[in-house]
Amino acid sequence: MHCRASWHLNKAARFLWWSIFLVVLGVSFRISQVDIGSLIGGLSQSFALGREMLPPDFSRGKQILILAAETVAMGFWGTILGMIISLPLGFLAARNTAQNWFLYHLSKTLVTLLRSIPDVIYAFFFVTAFGLGPQAGVAALTLATVGLLGKFYSEAVESIDEKPVEALAATGSRGLSVIRHAIVPQVLPLFMGYNLYLLDHNIRVALALGVVGAGGLGVELFTQMRGFHYQKAAAILVVILVIITAIDRVSAYLRNRIIKGGFLQPGSRSRDAALVGAIGLFTIVSFYFMPVDLKEMAAGAPRIWEFLKGMVPPDFSRISVYLKLMLETVGMGISGTFLAMVLAVPLGVLASRNVSHHPLIYNLAKEITNFLRAMPDLVFALIFVVAVGLGPFAGVLALGLNTAGFLGKFYAEAIENVDPKPVEAVEATGARLPQRIFHSIFPQVLPLFNSYNLYILDRNIRYSTIMGLVGAGGIGYELVMTSRMFEYRQMAAMLLVILATIMILDLVSAYLRKQVV
Amino acid sequence: MVKVANLRKRFNGLEVLAGINLRVKKGEAVALIGPSGSGKTTLIRTINGFVIPDAGTISVGGEEINYRDPESLRQIRKKIGMIYQLFNLVERTSVQVNVMAGALGRLDRGLSLLSSTVGFFTRREREKARELLSFVGLEDKAGERVDRLSGGQKQRVAIARALMQEPELLLADEPIANLDPKASRKIMELLLRINQEKKITLIAVLHHLDSVRDHFQRVVALKEGAICFDAATRKLNDHRIQDIYTVDEEIECIAAQAGI
Repeated sequence: MHCRASWHLNKAARFLWWSIFLVVLGVSFRISQVDIGSLIGGLSQSFALGREMLPPDFSRGKQILILAAETVAMGFWGTILGMIISLPLGFLAARNTAQNWFLYHLSKTLVTLLRSIPDVIYAFFFVTAFGLGPQAGVAALTLATVGLLGKFYSEAVESIDEKPVEALAATGSRGLSVIRHAIVPQVLPLFMGYNLYLLDHNIRVALALGVVGAGGLGVELFTQMRGFHYQKAAAILVVILVIITAIDRVSAYLRNRIIKGGFLQPGSRSRDAALVGAIGLFTIVSFYFMPVDLKEMAAGAPRIWEFLKGMVPPDFSRISVYLKLMLETVGMGISGTFLAMVLAVPLGVLASRNVSHHPLIYNLAKEITNFLRAMPDLVFALIFVVAVGLGPFAGVLALGLNTAGFLGKFYAEAIENVDPKPVEAVEATGARLPQRIFHSIFPQVLPLFNSYNLYILDRNIRYSTIMGLVGAGGIGYELVMTSRMFEYRQMAAMLLVILATIMILDLVSAYLRKQVV
Repeated sequence: MVKVANLRKRFNGLEVLAGINLRVKKGEAVALIGPSGSGKTTLIRTINGFVIPDAGTISVGGEEINYRDPESLRQIRKKIGMIYQLFNLVERTSVQVNVMAGALGRLDRGLSLLSSTVGFFTRREREKARELLSFVGLEDKAGERVDRLSGGQKQRVAIARALMQEPELLLADEPIANLDPKASRKIMELLLRINQEKKITLIAVLHHLDSVRDHFQRVVALKEGAICFDAATRKLNDHRIQDIYTVDEEIECIAAQAGI
């Protein structure tokens, strides 16, 4: 009898959770102007825009290529500078190599803080300080990279095998020499993998940074979209697509080799060396394509100080407006996540090898997910602002499509890892494919799906703050407007509201994660 | 009920089934024995279409399996309940939900396909699941999560799921290999009771010869992909058991080929 009671209690709790979920979702839809009508209208408007984009006009091909090189160069330099800063930070913020209590907490807090602010916000900040151009982009990418790599590095250092460290310490070595001889050899492959991942990530982000004026292809895309030259914009989109696909493939190949330990091993040594050499060569060449004006950066440094001084004290006189906009921002993030979930379920199912038996369907779904994931959300936002007009709905579509790519990939991996035994048993009852998916696969992957959904929700609320930078709703738009009017004290208040919201939502999502997983 | 003719299967050049001929009458209970790697599981899995044979035919209930046509395979599978060594239940869901999965093959058209896919079943189906759960002695566990059950209870849930299919044939692949002796006896008694009361044909792969002697009238033994013994259980003496389980030696297969 006891288990029966707990079952009913369970049912009541589930009912409560579902009610909360539905209410939050309904309110979010309302705030971000999502309904059936807008979805259908948005679809037809997007198709209309797509038709206007064809055929792509490559008449500015040369400029596009130069800007593409500049974008890739921004990604490279952001990654490299970020790496250099992260290296000491990673060791300082790792529990087992921390020097003292103060430095440990300082570096850990710094990394966490850097990570919690979206990269585009940095770009926006540096554009105000350094002026338009790639130097703002590189600076922004550097900070964002430190936020991510600092965490990855320190976690890698914390997860090492301590035995070699003890052995070396027993010989009387200490400090840096222990790190050099006992820790670095262990973490080097991991670090290399993370660096490559960040490079891949940064080049994609760099494509979007131009949208706020921080150099690269994004500037050109923004100009052409705003000038209604959709065919020229389409040409840029094609180039972006080629770049992200190529980078994705190269980075996946190299990372795979590094993780499996096959990197630079006999058999493919010359090919791997050639690839690394090509990347190195490109790094050097890319310097020429990136007109970073060091003098201007040096001159910009005091401006950052002026800028920061101009922000104090923050001006909270319009706090009610900010809070309302922040609500819209969070609503966008929630609606976008829901859209991503709805799109990702079919994508993930079709992109998993054990369900989608037809190679054509499997590969098509996989390519669509890769494309959605690799395309920066701000680029999506730019397109949807033109297609469906200014406002949060464009932001919802952008976040939804972009993260449907992430979720689709995660879902597919989860589905490919299910226990095949119950799946066969349900197939043995003569169940059809959809019945098998719902009765033997979904029950197995649901907890994983929930945890991925929460991660994406977290990310989307963070990134919904930047959608407004291109007019796609939320607090971002207000942020741009006040900065244009040099109202830095109001801007500071807004940034604090954003930061506070992100921190509160971090707590909420940590709580939810405990409930669900 | 089941007619297997000249069945052959190779895996990576290794001959696993070397021309099997077997006939099982409706309502019969047959134990399938033999050393590991002798092809028992492969034979079972060709009957419900999870292994596609290289040559030969199988018909179930007078209907020949067409391995190239997924729909034909599905129709055959609907008639066959399958019991596994590791139960193959969806661990995270309730007993009731697992049992309902057995009805999916029958609810394969129109509205009932749609509603069963998303987990809504008619009152009739739900009541049937309850009846079957009380038939296997788990009426008070319907709402329990499967991963909280013991091995013997899990196997009973799997049996209820198979019965939910309203099958004509029950295939059991080492159903008691992962259970303790007491649970094993209960499961075997349950399977034989189903065979006798519900007139469902039973083919069970077994390793435990005492269970075979206690419960089955007919034994089929496989060795190196061929049937080397097929007769009444009482003819299974020590000498023959020795022959069946002695591998790597050239021995004449015992040609007690009753029923072929």
